[in-house]
Order: sequence, then structure tokens, then C-alpha cells
Amino acid sequence: METHPRPLLSVDDLTIEIGGANVVDGISFTVAPGKVMALVGESGCGKSLTSYAMLGLLPPAARRSGGTIHLGDQELTALSERAFRKARGKDISIIFQEPSASLDPLTTVGAQIAAAYRTHHKVSRAEAYAKARQMLEDVGIPDPDRRLHQYPFELSGGMCQRIMISIALICSPRVLVADEPTTALDVTIQAQILDLMKKLVTERDTAIVIITHDMGVVADIADDVAVMYAGRIAEIAPVHALFEKPRHPYTALLLASVPKLSDAPKADLATIEGRVPTPNEFNAGCRFADRCPLATERCRAEQPPLFDCGGGHRSACWHIDRMAEIHGRAA
Amino acid sequence: MLNYAVQRLIQAIVAIFGVLTIVFVVMHLSGDPTLLLVPQDASAEMIAQLRHQLGFDRPIHIQYLDYLYGLTRLDFGISVVQRVPALDIVASRLPYTIQLAAGALLVAIGIGIPAGIIMATLRDTAIARILAAIVVTGQSVPTFLSAILLIFIFGVTLRWLPTSGAGELSAMIMPSIALGALSMSTFARMTRIAIIDELGKDYVRAGRARGLSLREIVFRHVLRNASIPVITIAALEIGNLLAGAVIIETVFAWPGIGQLAIQSIQSRDFLVVQVIVLLISFVYVLTSVAADLVYVVVDPRIRLVR
Repeated sequence: METHPRPLLSVDDLTIEIGGANVVDGISFTVAPGKVMALVGESGCGKSLTSYAMLGLLPPAARRSGGTIHLGDQELTALSERAFRKARGKDISIIFQEPSASLDPLTTVGAQIAAAYRTHHKVSRAEAYAKARQMLEDVGIPDPDRRLHQYPFELSGGMCQRIMISIALICSPRVLVADEPTTALDVTIQAQILDLMKKLVTERDTAIVIITHDMGVVADIADDVAVMYAGRIAEIAPVHALFEKPRHPYTALLLASVPKLSDAPKADLATIEGRVPTPNEFNAGCRFADRCPLATERCRAEQPPLFDCGGGHRSACWHIDRMAEIHGRAA
Repeated sequence: MLNYAVQRLIQAIVAIFGVLTIVFVVMHLSGDPTLLLVPQDASAEMIAQLRHQLGFDRPIHIQYLDYLYGLTRLDFGISVVQRVPALDIVASRLPYTIQLAAGALLVAIGIGIPAGIIMATLRDTAIARILAAIVVTGQSVPTFLSAILLIFIFGVTLRWLPTSGAGELSAMIMPSIALGALSMSTFARMTRIAIIDELGKDYVRAGRARGLSLREIVFRHVLRNASIPVITIAALEIGNLLAGAVIIETVFAWPGIGQLAIQSIQSRDFLVVQVIVLLISFVYVLTSVAADLVYVVVDPRIRLVR
């Protein structure tokens, strides 16, 4: 990542606790303008909580107990609720997994997009609508004049996600957080939405943090990937390095579990044995140790730091050298 | 949407027809109506004569058709006690009940809905707890008891308000509160639940994510969405208020149709009772049709799809 320009968003040692347990435990990453960072992991690894923390929208049970989040020179985590409200939607936006449910069913989509603009800009209703119409064109919605006056239930899921993207981007935020933006959509629509997001980052130099559990989405859109496991970053790397030479056994197993076209038909899906530990099962060492084929005594006793493997590639594993050997043999 | 409205109207007509029939059947199931009208020591001859005079000796289906035919001309029969059309008697009392029901509805909606909003949005605050206590009280104290308590406190002990009658406006206060208390609790609870339900929805989180405060989200989006179940309740509550008026009007000597119903039952003036029962049933049906039409205004999903 050293090759990237100055970071726009930096998350530093972020820790979030729920009921005394650190469900997000000291994670750090940065995103540069115009780049896409993917946070990947299984359900419950803390990736969504991390994204909510970026917008100051943690659920009431969760509390940020340490670390900071900076947007440019502004420390988001130091903002009061009132000041944070001014930043939300304007400097940093988010789109959610269920686009249809994220819109008010009783209000036209045009009114909702225009209201998003007027939340942060003092303009007339007509100006806001003109802006909304422009936005619908930008996100590739045909016949925007008609769509403006339609209600969410009249639009498909993919259409609704384009509306959500319009709302998220209408104030030209510098960072867009996308929490599983394509999970609820079917595969062809998924590709269209990802293409749209890619186009928008390049045009506007927006930084994107995308939360997903889908390695296909990661390969499609991300520049960098942070693989999270049980609240910690297991491995963080530029996307090609991560896919080609994963240096954490969890990443390697995760990649191995993605079905391939070359697999024999009806072959068993590859899985990782065991399950993610719950917060009260966390041990002192590596949280993946119990499921890891390489685990040793040290893994269980001592938490591995994020070792630098070069080229912006870092892995929290005591066995990065063995992982490198394995790649060497395979090549 | 036109389809939807037409459908609802047809349903309403069917419901009203059902009510008419049930009322007729119940009146005749309870035995020969003539026996209800004559004094206990009447001779068999007198009974037979009255039965013939009132047409109760005809076959039942003829009586039924005659009854329906009468209704089409707004002929609900002549009160056997007062010797004037039953409809006129009810009509002369109706304004009082409308007045009382309006007062009660004002109490129920005017207090119930804001209380529900506060209980849902300011959870775990002192004011929400106080309101919750008031709501539980309104819900659990029986109407006849709260009415008598009100009379005892504000009428007899403090002498602030008249204890009975329908003279000046101040006489409306206690009966309206007593009659509206139960509805008020229902409105408060339903509003609270509807809002809490809406607050958990994704669009609320999405609203906060674009920089709206919770208050703005509640007033711009949540209240409108939460109004849909509350409208349903409102329709039912108007009918319930009329039914509740029977007790309240008796306790407060309020000269409306509730009091009239009790008097007519006591004097066996069953044609008047029949008019009152039909009236209350019509109000139920009409308010629910009205609610269905209000949905059309509030909810585009009904307006545009059906």
C-alpha cells in the first residue's frame, strides 16, 4: 500500500466491545482516494460493526472502546453526534444490503433523493429535484423523469440499489461505505452494480470501503483486501497478492473453498472445519488456531502481530514463512 | 384503485345485509315478539289480537321481506310504547351521543396518539414511564368504576363539574374522559407499538446514515408509516365508543342513544332497540369502509396496485 497516494480514510487500532468482549479488536487500515478496500470475512467477524463505526452508527449495545477513525484531517471518532450528523451523507456515506427496505415505502424516490441533497445544501425543492434527476442519469437509470415520481415498491431490487447509490453520492462524499451492497441482488444485477460503483470511484475519486463475504465481489472491484477473522485482521494485501499468494492459512482456506468451474460436477464443496469462536471462547493467541492446520503451541498462547511480507502485504500469522514455502513448492 | 374501492363497497353492502338479517333472526329466535310486549296477565285473546295487529302471525319469510321492504323506505316500525316512529325517537337522541362520542374521541386521539409517540421515541425517560402508568390505568379500570370515581372526586367532593345531564359544555368533560379512557389507552399502545416497529426498519438507519436526526426521521417518515395500523384501530374504536356509551350515558344521565337503549330494553320497546343495534352496526361498517379509503390516500402501494 505504500505505493498509494496519501490515505483519505484511516482506521487506526479500532476496538469495539459488546458486553465486555472485544468483537472488533484493534483493526487498522487505510484507503486512498479513488481506491476500493474490501473487508472480507464470515458472518460475525466484525466487518459490519467496523463499517457502522465509520459512520458513528454503532447499535446501542456496541461501544467503541479504543482507536480512531480519520477522514482526511478530521477525526470522525472525536465528533459529537450533532457534528457527525453534518458529516454523514456529505463527507461519508453508506449503502446497505437491503436496498428496498432502506427506502421509505410511502415517499417517492425522487423526493427521497432530493431530501438527501437538501439535508446538506440550502437549495429550493426544484433545484434539489434537478440534482436528483441528474443523479439518476449518472447511476444509469433509464427514463429518470418517470422514475423520480415512482415509489420504491414499483422498482426492482437492482433499481432500488441504484437509487440508494444516488442518495449516497448526491452530496459527493469523499468516502462511500458499501455494506454487502449486492448480496440481496441476483448475479447479473450484482455485476452491473459493481461496474457502476467502479465507474463512480474513478470519475469522482471517491474512496470505497466494501464489506462482503463474497470473494467474487472482491476480485471484481477491490484494490486492497483486509481479511477479518473473529474481530481481527488476519491478512491485508493488494488484491492480486492476496489471491495469488495468501500468507495467512485462513485466507488460503477461504480461497480454496470458493467453488471453481474446473471442479468436478457435484463435487463436495470445500469447507473449513469447525466454526468461528464466540467472544467468550477467544483464547490468548491466534483466534484461528483451533481450525488451523498449521497451528502450533505458540499460536494458541501468543497473539501474532501483523508481519510485513513486503509490497503492502501483511499477515497476522506465526507461520508466514511456511506459507511462502508452500507457495514456492506449488510454483 | 377503483377496483379496490368498489370491492370495499360491495363488502360493506354484504356486511350490512348480514347485520339486517342477523338482527331480524335474533329478534324472532327469542320467541314470539308479541309476548315481550304484553303485560304478564294478558289474556290469550288479547295476545292473539296484538299478534295479528303487528303482523307476527304471518309466515316468517313474509315478515322478513316486509321488514326489508320497510327498511328501504326508512320505516323501522312504530314504537309500541310511545306510539311514534322508532326512527324518530332514536334520531332525537342521536345528536347527544354524537356530541359525547366526539368528546371521547378527542380525548382518545388527542391524548392517546401523542402519548404513544412519546412512549416510543423517548423510551426509558421519566415522562414515558409516567405516561405508561396512565395508559395502564386507563386500560385496566372498568368504565363504570372510573365514571363513578370521577363523579365522586370532581362532582361530589370538589364540586368542579356537574355530575349529570347535558346542559352546559362543562357537563361533557367527565363523560368524555370516562368514555374515552379505554380508547385512549388503545391508541397510545397501538401508536407506540407501530412506531417502535417502524423505528427498527432499515429506512430509519438509512435516514440517519444520510445525516438526518432521529426527530427528523420520525416526523418525516416514521409517523406516516406508523399511521397505517393506527387508522385501522381508529375505525374500530369509533364503533366501540358507541357501544361504550350505553354504560357511560346511564351513569351520567346523558340523554343519548345509550341511555335510550337501556330504557327501551326495560320497557320492552324492541323496535327502538332494533334501530339502535342497526345504527351501531352501520357505524362499524361505515367507519371500516372509511378507513379502507383513508389507506388509499396514505399508502401508494394500495393506491397504485390494486
